[in-house]
Amino acid sequence: MPKDHDKDVYPEPPSRTPVEDRQSSLPNPALILSKLFYYSVDLPVTAFRDIVEGIQSGKRSHYYHQKFRRVPELTQCQEGDYVCYYEAEMQWRRDYKVDQEIVKVIQERLRACQQREGPSYRQNCYKELQQFEQVSKAFQSRYGDLGAYASARKCLMKQKERMMAEQQQA
Amino acid sequence: MVGMSLLRTAAAFTARLNPLKRTCQSSNLLSRTVVRSEQVVVRYGSHGKRMFIIKPTDFYDRRFLHLLKYYILLAGIPVAALVTFVNIFIGESELAEIPEGYEPEHWEYYKHPITRWIARTFYDSPVKDYEKMMALIQMEAEKAEMRQLQLEVRRHMREKGDGPWFQIQTLDKNLIDHSPKSSPDN
Repeated sequence: MPKDHDKDVYPEPPSRTPVEDRQSSLPNPALILSKLFYYSVDLPVTAFRDIVEGIQSGKRSHYYHQKFRRVPELTQCQEGDYVCYYEAEMQWRRDYKVDQEIVKVIQERLRACQQREGPSYRQNCYKELQQFEQVSKAFQSRYGDLGAYASARKCLMKQKERMMAEQQQA
Repeated sequence: MVGMSLLRTAAAFTARLNPLKRTCQSSNLLSRTVVRSEQVVVRYGSHGKRMFIIKPTDFYDRRFLHLLKYYILLAGIPVAALVTFVNIFIGESELAEIPEGYEPEHWEYYKHPITRWIARTFYDSPVKDYEKMMALIQMEAEKAEMRQLQLEVRRHMREKGDGPWFQIQTLDKNLIDHSPKSSPDN
């Protein structure tokens, strides 16, 4: 079966199932519905999954995550060395994708926290909120308004503008 | 007589207006005839009375929908069966750490078996594409550099004039025939 999520990152609140103290002799509808769900949905699906895994048991192939070497960045390239420009550009694009995924992961954590805590999320998820704010501010300042045709050069120029603005303020 | 014919035409007109509401036929009332009731077709069974329903033709619409379903399912069912069997009998790959000293082939970076097959059979590896692109860039850069150099050299040779370019060949001095010049006023 596929792995479950990381329990440290998405902690579940302690369950508060009450001790059962039945006074009535009527059947428990929650129990009936859960049994119904189990027999009609859970059991067939699990059985099918087990059959399929039994068929596929021996011959699982593997897939890997590609590791890329670091190459010199745009600032370390000689002027007119177009091959170096190309490699730096490709590396910048890979880093851009990675940063987008990082922002998505942080967003997902915040969303999960809000869903868990309910109305008191601003107080209980303070760490996740701060982390998300920091990460999204950083992303906006680095990659913010570059647009669809973003490139390493444009990002570098944006960084130059930022540094100039900081120098003028200081 | 005239009144009866008028009434008859009026009854016929109302009958034409609303054929369903003919409770008492004028032919019964005025001409004292009786409708023969043995002529009604009685074939109830379970279908009810057979009706000839007049409506616009749905032949073209039904033909279009039939052909649409046929052509979609003609390729759709084999493709769906293929994908189902691949998913059940071959199954997706599992994520694993790259073992020490092992370089995975370029198709081993994908999860689904059909994607892996496409990457293995049809596509070049991304490393090869990268190298091809860098080779093209290198060639174009060399061409650009050559053109720049050529323009520079042209400029120098035009200015100084001591290079092999921009020299107009003149005739050899020894070919000049000096014989008409030896005797003046010829």
